[in-house]
Amino acid sequence: MTFLVVLLCLLSFIYMPHGPNDMNLALRFTAPGENPSYILGTDYFGRDIMSRIIYGSRSVLLVCFLAVAIGSVVGTLLGAIAAIVKGPLSAVIMRSIDGLMAFPGILLAMMMVAAVGKGKEGAIVAISIFMVPPFARLVYSLILDSENSLFIKAAKSYGITRSRLLRKHYLPLLLPRLITQFTACIGSAIMIETSLSFLALGVQPPNASWGLMLNEARQHFLQYPYLAIVPGLAISMAVLGFNLLGDGLNDLLQRRRS
Amino acid sequence: MLNYIYKRTSHALQVLFVVSVITFAVLLWIPGDPAQLMLGADATPERLQTLRTALGLDRPWYVQYWEWLKGFVQLDLGKSYLFGQNVSTLIAQRLPVTMSIAVFSMLMAAVVALVLGALAAIKKNSTIDYFSTIVIQLASSVPSFWIGMIFIVYFGIRWQWFPVAGYVPPQQGIGPYLASIALPSIVLAIGEVGMLLRTVRTAMLDAINQDFMDMARVKGLSGFTIYFKYALRSAMIAPLNVMGLQFAKLIGGTVVVESVFALPGIGRLILVAVEQRDVFLLQGLVMFVTTLVILIALLVDIAVMFINPRIRVEMQGE
Repeated sequence: MTFLVVLLCLLSFIYMPHGPNDMNLALRFTAPGENPSYILGTDYFGRDIMSRIIYGSRSVLLVCFLAVAIGSVVGTLLGAIAAIVKGPLSAVIMRSIDGLMAFPGILLAMMMVAAVGKGKEGAIVAISIFMVPPFARLVYSLILDSENSLFIKAAKSYGITRSRLLRKHYLPLLLPRLITQFTACIGSAIMIETSLSFLALGVQPPNASWGLMLNEARQHFLQYPYLAIVPGLAISMAVLGFNLLGDGLNDLLQRRRS
Repeated sequence: MLNYIYKRTSHALQVLFVVSVITFAVLLWIPGDPAQLMLGADATPERLQTLRTALGLDRPWYVQYWEWLKGFVQLDLGKSYLFGQNVSTLIAQRLPVTMSIAVFSMLMAAVVALVLGALAAIKKNSTIDYFSTIVIQLASSVPSFWIGMIFIVYFGIRWQWFPVAGYVPPQQGIGPYLASIALPSIVLAIGEVGMLLRTVRTAMLDAINQDFMDMARVKGLSGFTIYFKYALRSAMIAPLNVMGLQFAKLIGGTVVVESVFALPGIGRLILVAVEQRDVFLLQGLVMFVTTLVILIALLVDIAVMFINPRIRVEMQGE
């Protein structure tokens, strides 16, 4: 069962990057019509939906990867500092993390968009801040858990510096868990990115983005439901793929440990 | 026990303080001058200056923050310049809408998650367990705005079962009220059910493997009693926590669904505030929602303490 799940997610993982490479297919602003060269039809402006989906995947993945990468690095550092340094600094960091987690997901993102401005940059900042707490918490608890294990005590007993301790001992320990978390977070990042662009707060027109395509489809989808079907499917497949990959990695990790 | 409540409350207050700092800092960072936005581009410098003074925008940021915080403690959330009304009035007008869909969606999600999650755990690796796994994965990967749009096309337009937009207050009849919130609630519930179902299933699996379950079986109790009276009760703690938090976050997390179904709720208000850069409105809304989240989380923690015998005993031992 697990194997099947991993296989499925690996397939979706291999399949998805196929899109961005084929972006030169883009045939924009051509007339709509039932034409065999427009497999998925065209939208209001006669743009090929297939091409926009493929092109849109590039901006979705770019924004999400960048955002989760930034979030994971900042989160890991904060969590590690809080766990190793301890004292009041640690309390301040962890309270701030708790504070960030008190915002309902989309609200924090919308607030950041209001501050940074609509568009790609706003979305990246918004999503990366959203991704800081899960990583900080994970790293914090993992370091505290392993603090008393023998090899850490040994390393400390010969006077290792904190940054070396982090790099040489904790990082290898944390890495598998971080990678799992990273994958799972991409899924939720895609969800936020598409929600933002659906609310017209993310990638701005005329650029293609899945959420934005759904937003544009809203005016016409009562007559032409197909406008909404394909972008929605694309979003669902992408999120599902990354979620399954994250779950699969997690299972793998747990089985290796036991 | 009091000690625990005290600790949790002080933690909640600290988090609330952090939230207020984050909110204020982020919104201070918003480009544009509120006075300019209010008066328009052709306002004279003198009038701008007068308004800034009247709004207190010429004071240093820490004085502004302090005054804002003081107002907030006195339940004064500030005034929206877009609507020219108090933020608390605006929230009071829109809260019933958001509350309705939040409550109904949470109820639906809870019932489905409890029944399906319990059955999936009892019959592990059966068809129903597979089914629940599929539900978990699908529910957490399909975007709510998309489901909403598809529901509108089929349930609203093709089959005309439900109205597709707008909100009917319960004063105008319970039937139309329920019909107007049915689709948005279902869409929200689908978004919530994945996480909740996963939690119920895991907690129930844990509970089934506990010693007291063997004891109950040895006593010769029926399967139904064993599972639904003993196991489910002890398995409720984690799901209750999740449910409390999910519900709290729904108050500010309904933006997308309210936008799809054109419901005049808190979410729409947040969207308008962001689009129009109404800083005061956004500040008030964000503080309102996050305070609610923190408060509900605190209440759930305390409630769980009373339900969970393990925590209760630990506390007495302290």
